[in-house]
Amino acid sequence: MAVCIAVIAKENYPLYIRSVPVQNELKFHYTVHTTLDVVEEKISAVGKAMADQRELYLGLLYPTEDYKVYPSHMIKNMAVTNSKVKFVIVVDSSNTSLRDNEIRSMFRKLHNSFTDVMCNPFYNPGDTIQSKAFDSMVSAMMVQAS
Amino acid sequence: MSVPDYMQCAEDHQTVLVVVQPVGIVPEDQFFRIYKRIASVAQVSIRDSQRNLYIRYRHHYLPENNEWGDFQTHRKVVGLISVTTCGSAKEWPQTLDRFHSQKEVFGATLYDSRLLVFGLQGEIAEQQRTDVAFYSSYDDCPNVEKRVEDFVESIFIVLESKRLDRATDKSGDKIPLLCVPFEKKDFVGLDTDSRHYKKRCQGRMRKHVGDLCLQAGMLQDALVHYHMAVELLRSVNDFLWLGAALEGLCSASVIFHYPGGTAGKAVGRKPSLAQGQGQAADAGKRHRPGALTANGISADTSSEIGRAKNCLGPEDIIEKYKEAISYYGKYKNAGVIELEACVKAVRVLAIQKRAMEASEFLQNAVYINLGQLSEEEKIQRYSILSELYHLIGFHRKSAFFKRVAAMQCVAPTIPEPGWRACYKLLLETLPGYSLSLDPKDFSKGTHRGWAAVQMRLLHELVYASRRMGNPGLSVRHLSFLLQTMLDFLSDQEKKEVTQSLENYTSKCPGGMEVLTLPDGLKLPPVAFTKLPIIRSVKLLDLPVSLRPHKQKGLLENNMSTKSPFIYSPIIMHTRGEERNKKIEFQWVQGEVCEVQLMVYNPMPFELRVEHMGLLTSGVEFEALPAALSLPAESGLYPVTLVGVPRTAGNITVNGYHTSVFGVTSDCLLEGLPSVLTSGCMVEVIPSLPRLQLSTSLPRSAHPLQPSKEELSSSVSVQLFNGETQHLTITLENIGSEDLETLEVASKTCNTKEKLFGEFLSWDLDEAVSQLPLKPGQSVTLTVNIKVRLDFSGGENLLQDLNDDGISVTGLPISSPLRQVLKSRAESKPLGSESSKTDYNHVKTLEAVMTFKYSGGAGKVEGYYRDLSLGVHVDIEPSVFFTRVSTLPATRTRQCHLLLDVFNSTEHELTVSANNNQDLVLHASECQRMAIQVDKFDFDTLPQPDQEAVRYTNPKLLEEERLHAQASMINSTLGITWNIPSVRRQGEASVEGVLNQLVLEHLQLAPLQWDVVVNGKPCDCDIIADCRVGDAVPLEVKLTNRSKNAVGPFALTVVPFQDYQNGVQNYDLQDAVTFIGSNTFYIDTVKPTENSVCMGALLFLYTGDFYLNIKFQDDSAGQGKELPPSWFGLPSVHIKALEAPIEAGA
Repeated sequence: MAVCIAVIAKENYPLYIRSVPVQNELKFHYTVHTTLDVVEEKISAVGKAMADQRELYLGLLYPTEDYKVYPSHMIKNMAVTNSKVKFVIVVDSSNTSLRDNEIRSMFRKLHNSFTDVMCNPFYNPGDTIQSKAFDSMVSAMMVQAS
Repeated sequence: MSVPDYMQCAEDHQTVLVVVQPVGIVPEDQFFRIYKRIASVAQVSIRDSQRNLYIRYRHHYLPENNEWGDFQTHRKVVGLISVTTCGSAKEWPQTLDRFHSQKEVFGATLYDSRLLVFGLQGEIAEQQRTDVAFYSSYDDCPNVEKRVEDFVESIFIVLESKRLDRATDKSGDKIPLLCVPFEKKDFVGLDTDSRHYKKRCQGRMRKHVGDLCLQAGMLQDALVHYHMAVELLRSVNDFLWLGAALEGLCSASVIFHYPGGTAGKAVGRKPSLAQGQGQAADAGKRHRPGALTANGISADTSSEIGRAKNCLGPEDIIEKYKEAISYYGKYKNAGVIELEACVKAVRVLAIQKRAMEASEFLQNAVYINLGQLSEEEKIQRYSILSELYHLIGFHRKSAFFKRVAAMQCVAPTIPEPGWRACYKLLLETLPGYSLSLDPKDFSKGTHRGWAAVQMRLLHELVYASRRMGNPGLSVRHLSFLLQTMLDFLSDQEKKEVTQSLENYTSKCPGGMEVLTLPDGLKLPPVAFTKLPIIRSVKLLDLPVSLRPHKQKGLLENNMSTKSPFIYSPIIMHTRGEERNKKIEFQWVQGEVCEVQLMVYNPMPFELRVEHMGLLTSGVEFEALPAALSLPAESGLYPVTLVGVPRTAGNITVNGYHTSVFGVTSDCLLEGLPSVLTSGCMVEVIPSLPRLQLSTSLPRSAHPLQPSKEELSSSVSVQLFNGETQHLTITLENIGSEDLETLEVASKTCNTKEKLFGEFLSWDLDEAVSQLPLKPGQSVTLTVNIKVRLDFSGGENLLQDLNDDGISVTGLPISSPLRQVLKSRAESKPLGSESSKTDYNHVKTLEAVMTFKYSGGAGKVEGYYRDLSLGVHVDIEPSVFFTRVSTLPATRTRQCHLLLDVFNSTEHELTVSANNNQDLVLHASECQRMAIQVDKFDFDTLPQPDQEAVRYTNPKLLEEERLHAQASMINSTLGITWNIPSVRRQGEASVEGVLNQLVLEHLQLAPLQWDVVVNGKPCDCDIIADCRVGDAVPLEVKLTNRSKNAVGPFALTVVPFQDYQNGVQNYDLQDAVTFIGSNTFYIDTVKPTENSVCMGALLFLYTGDFYLNIKFQDDSAGQGKELPPSWFGLPSVHIKALEAPIEAGA
């Protein structure tokens, strides 16, 4: 279902990125990188209003030639930090059966898994994610599609 | 129409298009100079009408596009200005022909045209023509602008007449159908009388009039016409023109809302404001109520609607644009129109700061297919997309498209790839990927940006610059890549990158200079601070022997205490301070100085670093570069960089210099926060001489036991106790300065051993007399090593003594001295050895000789150098005295010293003393030796001065006194030993074995008795002669040298005869008579005074007589007993001789 899943740090560098067609990974790097523009725009447009809401899902960003890019923006623990970690899921646009609800549940899973990673006392925030559990969860989400 | 004009914006709808073209041969630069002057007339305000006419100039315009002029009038070329050079009148007709033929290209649409002729003079130039202007040269054409303004005005007149013509002929018989080129064939054979057709004609015409009104500066009219056109065209489903009408409506509204323009600063509309009239008009426009607020949306829309109810609101503009674009989208041939509309809408949205919607428009624009595009057009399209994304703040998207454009420049299908353009475009993408080419931005904190994408871009930059033929650039980019992206490169990539870097640098070595690109961009140098990575920098002190020392006294002046506290547990320091902190030690000018770096190699292969040297400031410094090779993924590796400071002053180590993979880099420490350093500034003092020390004795490998002090060298020697060894020290000045002063001092290290006499002694005078010592010269110094140790203190030795019946050492078992000896024996490190071989323990003496020397400029500053020589002496016992005792000699002033001499060596040995015969001792043999000695008068020893007595502890004083006495005895005895077999000789000292009892015996009594018989002093051995019958005067003199008064005493003289067989005859009443009393009384004698008793004897017979002077102490009343030794009165031997027979008697 997903072709590429990325976790992006507050400072806009990838904490984790994985894509299914491995041979063209750089392309996804570019795709995800350019989505950040839109994500930033959306965040700044929504602004503070979003902090109150629990809704962190930004919805469909835009369709590119081949893929739909869904980002999710997470504001973690607003009271303490503004660790604006972002999740981006790139979905094959040929797969039209995918509903908004399913995407949402994917993000929820991703978010939960990411929280687990952050809870690891040996993980330094800001490092790239090298958790096996996270990896397998992402793989599961990708395999599900194909 | 296939070529879109990406620069278009909404307000272009109100402009009229004028083409400026060269005719014939016109130099390009001259043409553009004229073009610029013409283009400066972009806005003309028309006399009498309060209206402005805006002109858009093009120097290149496709006639094909001109055909769309009816669709949107701003696409129509209405004016033509030709620029030509005409050298002579002959060429004139030909030039004119050309002008006319050019006019025909746009003939159908032209309102007016002008020809600017340069260079022509004479008759033809004189004639007045409205459409031709003559100028003598390109530099001399002052009224070009004026001519253009006139021209524009003439265009306006035509435009205005056309507008009026079209606007009023709605009641006219037949409205022509305006159509775009591709429609023409569609309308062939259509019923022209139908209502539908008429409406279409009407709508299109209405739209056309709207365009004209807009161009003629009648915004309100235009809006009305557009609205009507929209109504009309909507009803007949004429989508293309409906779109155009909507777009016109949008354009008019945009012009109304945003008089500042939507194109940004890129299009030079502003300069026209400087043109007098234009300025006033513009100012008037600005004052329109609610014109422009910060976000481009008028604040009070209600007032706006009142004035211009036909004008669209900002929201509506976007809605209408969307609608228009969707209509355009229905026509494949209107792709260009659609694309341009998108671009215009994006520009409006950018002004409105609605980036999200703008991005949707752009997204749409990306998909508009314009059919087969040439590569150049593709590049243009991507660049403009990038620019627009940039406009709406999507920097990453912008960078993405710019990069695509750059790649397009060098697409494989292009026969001549434009690497230069590609490179230029790639550079422009850098900010979008948050990359700057300054490595400083990466040195601090975590890496910023998307490494994978950045790396790719850098690779592309490297490749492009290489293909451009600028290897210097590619080296710089590759270095940058390696330096900043090192953490993200895989091992394989690291290898590849370094390999290609080495390839490039073989052609063009990388340096530290700033590279400046032709367009002014500066590429700062890249220093390889990660190849290798430096962990710490430590300045090293000079080796001990070369370390300079400050003369005391002078040092205190330099002491500056910042804190009022002598000591504080809080160490106040910050990182930065630490770095600038001055290090306590000093370096010396002209001396090789070292800095230690801890480095490691992060690369998966061996790293060769060449020309690694120090970067310093402050003093002239000659860095001696080093080359090193670090193994792959090495751990911390110490590297020592050396250099020689050439002048004196404060030197600061700023960084280091390396050359890796052919790239030289200067790495400054201030840019490396992770480097640990304990200070980088050190004082360099002026040069000092340098001494090299060599000795006659072999150097010793083993260091001195208390190795606190670092020694430059040390010697070791083995000696027998009491032996003297000469050590010749040669000091050579190997420095470059004259040696001016030299001082020598010595310090004995282990003071546990009791040492007699001076261990090291020397005479410096001869050496000093040779100063100053020039470089290369040397001076010698002889040092006497004399060892005299007490070996008698062995426990087992005392045991021996006690076993012996004749214990004369007189050491009571519980005496404190004995206890001391005992404890010493226990603490002896060589205890196990001593138990093995009796008395054969080797003792060790160590001393450090310090040579302080100075000279040259360093001496002036108060510095000196130390050279220290360790002297290590292993002492084997030679002879020692196991027992000491005294026997009184026959004389009262003398006594016999009995010494039991023990030879503890393995050699035969002779012992000799002053005026005594030699004694031969075999190995481990003990013999008694008797020496007759004069008693000692210790009072003659110098008394310690009162001052010292007062402040030193009495015990110490006593010890000192004993020592002085012992050494006096020792020197008098002068006992020496000699081992002929090994040719060794030395002194034997009795100092250690002398004890209080022996000393007392050896000491002259404080009461000195002198017996004078017959005027001659008399002692035991002396026989006084006298004659029978003569009175022999006897005088007993007492000299008191003790500290107290003594006496009174009674002395009785008893004569006796010794028969030498053990019988002594005291019955001599008839042989000897006393004249006077035989008892003397001596009154109290005060210290240093003396008392003399006189008497006389008369011998009646000849013979040998002895006088025994008996002593009787009468001072019992004082209650103190004086020691008997004080009353050592000699016995007097008098030989009474036969009185000579006098000749006469």
